[in-house]
Amino acid sequence: MRRLRGPWTWTALSLAVLIAGWVALTAAGPNGPIVQDLFLPGPGELWSGFLDLMTDGYKGRSMLDHIGFSLERVLVGFGTGAVVGTLLGLAMGYAPTIDALAGPFVEFLRPLPQLAYLVLLIVWFGIGEESKIILLFLAALPVSAVAARAGVRGVSLQRVQVARTLGASEWQIFRHVVFPSALDEIFIGARLAIGIVYGTLIAAEIIAGSTGLGWMILDAGRFLRSDYVFVGIFLIGLMGIALDRLLVAIEARVVHWAGR
Amino acid sequence: MTGPSQRVLRAGAVLAALALWYVVSAVPLVSADFLPGPGAVLATLVDILEHGYRGTTLAQDTFATLGRCLAGFALAIVTGVPLGLLMGLSRRVEAASNYIVQFMRPLPPLSYLILLILWLGTGNSSKVALLYLTAFPIVTSAAMAGVRGVKRQRIEAALSLGAGRAQILRYVVLPSALPTIFTGLRIALAAAFSTVVAAELMAASNGLGWMVFSASQFLRNDVIVLGILVLGALGMLLNWALVALDLRVVHWRGLD
Repeated sequence: MRRLRGPWTWTALSLAVLIAGWVALTAAGPNGPIVQDLFLPGPGELWSGFLDLMTDGYKGRSMLDHIGFSLERVLVGFGTGAVVGTLLGLAMGYAPTIDALAGPFVEFLRPLPQLAYLVLLIVWFGIGEESKIILLFLAALPVSAVAARAGVRGVSLQRVQVARTLGASEWQIFRHVVFPSALDEIFIGARLAIGIVYGTLIAAEIIAGSTGLGWMILDAGRFLRSDYVFVGIFLIGLMGIALDRLLVAIEARVVHWAGR
Repeated sequence: MTGPSQRVLRAGAVLAALALWYVVSAVPLVSADFLPGPGAVLATLVDILEHGYRGTTLAQDTFATLGRCLAGFALAIVTGVPLGLLMGLSRRVEAASNYIVQFMRPLPPLSYLILLILWLGTGNSSKVALLYLTAFPIVTSAAMAGVRGVKRQRIEAALSLGAGRAQILRYVVLPSALPTIFTGLRIALAAAFSTVVAAELMAASNGLGWMVFSASQFLRNDVIVLGILVLGALGMLLNWALVALDLRVVHWRGLD
């Protein structure tokens, strides 16, 4: 009996209560379900909604298309923003002059709600892909820059001095000492950045999109198809977790010396 | 790091950007419809301070945004910190609730705003609920991580000195967890601030996000630029306020 009392029993118990509550609230009684399926679809409706979406797609496009659109935007925006931001951050960490020149703008951009400048980007670049990619680029850039700067600043002076005494050139010091030491922080920044970029993208698709997962749940919500909204939220959640895991996997390969 | 020459350079960079903005819009290299000049934005600021923007003053919009953000944030602290502490102290509580928190944490808040609007309407309650749900998993995870990070030796040392459970919680666990909790609060407030503006773009009739969105529909780019500047300043102010609070409250941070 003792083994049955492990923590996982509590997870199972809590999950069971949650599901039982869901079933009880949505099951069809003599007077219909306690909660209308418009507000909370039951498990059966959710499953058939999921099958519908997977086989027929949504509004003329398959679900894979919508997922693909969102994924492509995230990867392009995050990729460009993280690379440029990291390079800028490395330079800022290295040269106090560059730090002083770029710092005020990075520090202004970082806490600025991304959606506020989406409006301006739409006025400038139209409602198409361009404005979304630039938005995601700008969302990733300051986060990556701050992380890379912190990474360079955190390199222990001893290591640099040891390398210098051994006759390393400035480039060699950067390539073999500073950059590897800063990678830890750079990846922490990258994980933060991809989370922010992904959240920003879903918001941007909801506010000004015509494809993608964010747009799909907004459109489904307009037509009161809450089963599609729920399926969409789950897909968005799973994709967010997958993106984060992807970065963790890359980090484990690249920074295999982490923690040493 | 921030010597006098650094400060001069920083100020110079900001002034140079302002000068560039002025020149670009005064020549004009870019039409004023696309990028209003600093003068136009300043005039708009004065106008909105005096007459308001479509019936609401700048102060009202600012307080509407801040109020929603801080209400959701405060609710998240009041519920998330105790739950996170409990989760850190008890494996059972953790097992029963952590999977929910960890599913919510990476979920983009705007995705469930649609449901909240369906359930609670387009008023303030759906927005406060949204910001609460944005901040809650971050605060809870931080509180749990804070408790988990407490060194065993400290607890054992206190135990051997005869401390009771409540004393250990009050004098050992809480002070050791507080730095991590404060880091979580900063991340949570930043996330809530980003989310409140997104929510106001989607469904609101006041607030700075609403002001910017409404301005975009009337092609008032001067109001948009003004809104962005105000929001940027507000974001920096919020972060700075929490850093200052952190320094005062958790003055033992980094002394481990």
